[in-house]
Amino acid sequence: MEFHARNLADAIEARLTGRLEFTDHDRLRDIVALLDAPNLRRFVVDVSGLDFIDSAGLGMILILQEEAEQKNIKLIVRGPRNDVKRSIDLAKIGEIVSIEY
Amino acid sequence: MTISLDDCRVLVVDDNEFNRKSLSLLLLRSGLRNIAFAADGIDGLAKVETFRPDLVLLDVAMPNMNGLEMCRRLRADPRHADLPILFQTALDRDEEQVACFNAGGNDFISKPIRPGECVARVRHQLERRKLFRDLTAFRERVQKELLHAHAMQVSLLPEPRRIAELAERYGLDITSHFETSSELGGDLWSVFDIDADRVGFLIVDFAGHGITAAINTFRLHTLFERSSVCRADPAEWLTYLNTALKDVLPTGQFATAFYCVLDKRTHLLTFAGAGAPNPILGVDGDLTLLDSSGLLLGISHHAKYRTRQVLLPPGGFLLLYSDALLECRNADGVPFGQEALLAQVRRTMAAGQRPADPVSMVLEPFLRQVARPLRDDLTLIWIGRR
Repeated sequence: MEFHARNLADAIEARLTGRLEFTDHDRLRDIVALLDAPNLRRFVVDVSGLDFIDSAGLGMILILQEEAEQKNIKLIVRGPRNDVKRSIDLAKIGEIVSIEY
Repeated sequence: MTISLDDCRVLVVDDNEFNRKSLSLLLLRSGLRNIAFAADGIDGLAKVETFRPDLVLLDVAMPNMNGLEMCRRLRADPRHADLPILFQTALDRDEEQVACFNAGGNDFISKPIRPGECVARVRHQLERRKLFRDLTAFRERVQKELLHAHAMQVSLLPEPRRIAELAERYGLDITSHFETSSELGGDLWSVFDIDADRVGFLIVDFAGHGITAAINTFRLHTLFERSSVCRADPAEWLTYLNTALKDVLPTGQFATAFYCVLDKRTHLLTFAGAGAPNPILGVDGDLTLLDSSGLLLGISHHAKYRTRQVLLPPGGFLLLYSDALLECRNADGVPFGQEALLAQVRRTMAAGQRPADPVSMVLEPFLRQVARPLRDDLTLIWIGRR
């Protein structure tokens, strides 16, 4: 997985591309670190460029959600497609995390 | 890091007595006490067998058999393939030094011997050998323990005798496959006899694989024994497992699951899912993917599971499987996928009313294209009604 972060008017957006899976745990730390930006209220994880997510990848989204919640930041997962959308829906991640389709 | 080399054994092979003595003095002064001597290559080979040195300090030019030949003979014996051999040579031409390496030497020291250099090179070789041996021993121990743990993990699965007995009692044909990616895995399945008519099947896959995931399967298995919760209601059973797992699992660890109860009298299959791959139901030649969506187990205390029902009459079957079957990729990076799986299940169905080993048939094209060991744990359970 590769990711690029950018500042929006009211949020930070991290755009993920490639495959989010077991081997990406180290990259997760870099994304979690983005939550430390001062006065951050919204954090958008754009997954529209993601081709695949496995159960470990779903776990990473849940870890992000917990980290964001502790810092009072609203986490939004945006734009899941195809296999990624199927996996997120099957696991009902939407019950825990805000998903924007 | 200082490593104690007190117990290391050094064999000095040199035809010159003065050289042998001065080398042994050097080694003794550096703290090495176990030293033996040989006067030529033939003597040296014999001493290697009796003295079992950790390092050989070897002269090149000697009568009867020279050092290069002795070194070559040692290297030809697998038992001595990694015995450190340090040449001492007065020959300082490039090709002569290269000859020492080509014969299998690890390093050389030039004559006349410089004490500091000699001791440093001896220590370096001995330390390397010691670290390598420690690592090898550690690796062997871990492998042995993983093997034991793997046997324990397999013992969590229903025993073949119990499967056969339940199959008989409920009029079923049950075949299964269980294969972990490394030595240990995060998959588990189980079967529960509820009453005279109803039998329950559970398949669980903890995120990730390896030791953490495997320990979680043991955690889950203890819940099977302890609980008095009604297993006849799939949503209730998953809710119970979810709550118990949520209490013990850290964030990021969770499981997908599917649980179903088959009633042989009413032919109803009652089920609930927690994000497991969609099971395949086969009735009258038609295949249906069952809705197994539901919040993963161990994520939230507020998870709600929904019980659904379909008919599974005699002659029909249900195939449960873990996501490895869909997600493991072939050499070209292409996953097997849902379509290929459905096509293969169709072929298996076409093979006859009651295929003898449907799981092997379903797996055949999958196993043909993926590399072993698998990248994720693989479980399949075929439940056919007679």
